[in-house]
Amino acid sequence: MDAALQAPNQHAPPVLSAEEFARFCSFFYRHTGIQFNEQKRYFVERRVQDRIRATGSEGFRDYFSLMRFESAGQELQHLVNAMTVNETYFFREDYQFAALTGAVLPYLAKRRQRPIRIWSLPCSTGEEPYSVAIAILEDWADADGHDIEIYASDIDSGVLEQARAGIYGERALHRLSTPLRARYFASLPDHRFRVHEGIRASIDFSLVNAIDPRSMARYRGMDVVFCRNMLIYFDDLSRRQTVEAIYENLAPGGFVFLGHSESMSRMSSLFQPCKVGDSIVYQKPLDGE
Amino acid sequence: MPLVHAERHAGPDVADEQSDPRALLADLYAEEPSQRRQAARGLAAHPQAAPDLCARLGAEPAASVRSVILTSLIAMPSDTVVRSLLPYLRSKDAALRNAVIEALQRMPGALGPHIRSLLEDEDSDVRIFAVNVLAALAHAQAPRWLEVVLRCDPHVNVCAAAVDGLAEMGDRESLPALTALPARFPDEPFIAFAVQAALARIGAG
Repeated sequence: MDAALQAPNQHAPPVLSAEEFARFCSFFYRHTGIQFNEQKRYFVERRVQDRIRATGSEGFRDYFSLMRFESAGQELQHLVNAMTVNETYFFREDYQFAALTGAVLPYLAKRRQRPIRIWSLPCSTGEEPYSVAIAILEDWADADGHDIEIYASDIDSGVLEQARAGIYGERALHRLSTPLRARYFASLPDHRFRVHEGIRASIDFSLVNAIDPRSMARYRGMDVVFCRNMLIYFDDLSRRQTVEAIYENLAPGGFVFLGHSESMSRMSSLFQPCKVGDSIVYQKPLDGE
Repeated sequence: MPLVHAERHAGPDVADEQSDPRALLADLYAEEPSQRRQAARGLAAHPQAAPDLCARLGAEPAASVRSVILTSLIAMPSDTVVRSLLPYLRSKDAALRNAVIEALQRMPGALGPHIRSLLEDEDSDVRIFAVNVLAALAHAQAPRWLEVVLRCDPHVNVCAAAVDGLAEMGDRESLPALTALPARFPDEPFIAFAVQAALARIGAG
């Protein structure tokens, strides 16, 4: 059997002692808002072990002190990249894009005398912000009458590089018809597809840690935030802090899209839920200061 | 093409303000709600500001600022914070009261020592709110406290709230207190009904 497919050896000594695991989880939580429990020990240990090897550290203690005292934070970024899950594809939960182009953008267009700003947070490998761009160009009849700015951010610098490159395999594009592929992608010799330069260049990709107020304060006046399937990884406190930060990011009357299993009402009462087609979107009050 | 390259519109720099608690405390009373929110957020790093945050909570008119104040208090759970929040359970402002109940639910360790006195409060409304807090409190003793309510509280509405709470978080240990409750309120048929529903939820109905 391929070594990579083998089940974890129940009798192998743990990479981290119970105390080390707790210390690591507490450190990682403070920096990212992402919490791991004992059930995720194998997932965490495997990735920490990879980083111990990659950095040439002698063991966990050696690695942990390297990571904590490295002023540039490069190793922490490597670790974040390894620990975050980035499974997505084009037009995932496509009814939300229909709500965006069918109702939310027409609503905003009547009220904004400036570019409409849309933010994908987290954007992972880029499928979401590119889907937003394609949906607007394809499905919003008034698109040509308005300027639209698309921002895309993630805590993982590795996925941001992939997002900027805009190269995808068949799996990521399985929801896209042949005409859409032809209009927005170039075929590559290795059977992958690259998003056209014009769309790639229109999106502002950036590194953002959603639980860091300084990082979030760089964004203001957003009209729509896609924040799908990120808050589910956070604990109660980080979730509240992030939702309140997004409130600051939004202009009055702006909207938040969450993942289909997420509900704002369980996190905050700052937003008003609105039913738009098959989607529930959450609006910052028009008089929200 | 309608897609134009974005230019970021940065907010105020939070770095300097976060380090000066005196400036933050002054900004809690600023005219702009966004400035008050920023101050409340920054004060999360200064546990000594807890009494000031709690005091501001009662006078703060904007729900968004209240929310940030409570989030900062949740980030610094302590006996001082809990003592300063408990009086808001008597507030006539239902939105404020509910927000405080939610906040207290998120500080189980600091709240624990205060539960007994809350459940013995003279005001049955305060006891109901205490039971509401317990109903979603991540504390190992929470079901046991609710069982004490069923055995001892003289007010039917407080007991009814405790039955609802146990329906959510009760276990087999809760069964004796639940099954004994209808006999304490024989003239209140809804209690027997609520207990049956709770037993069914726990899996003992």
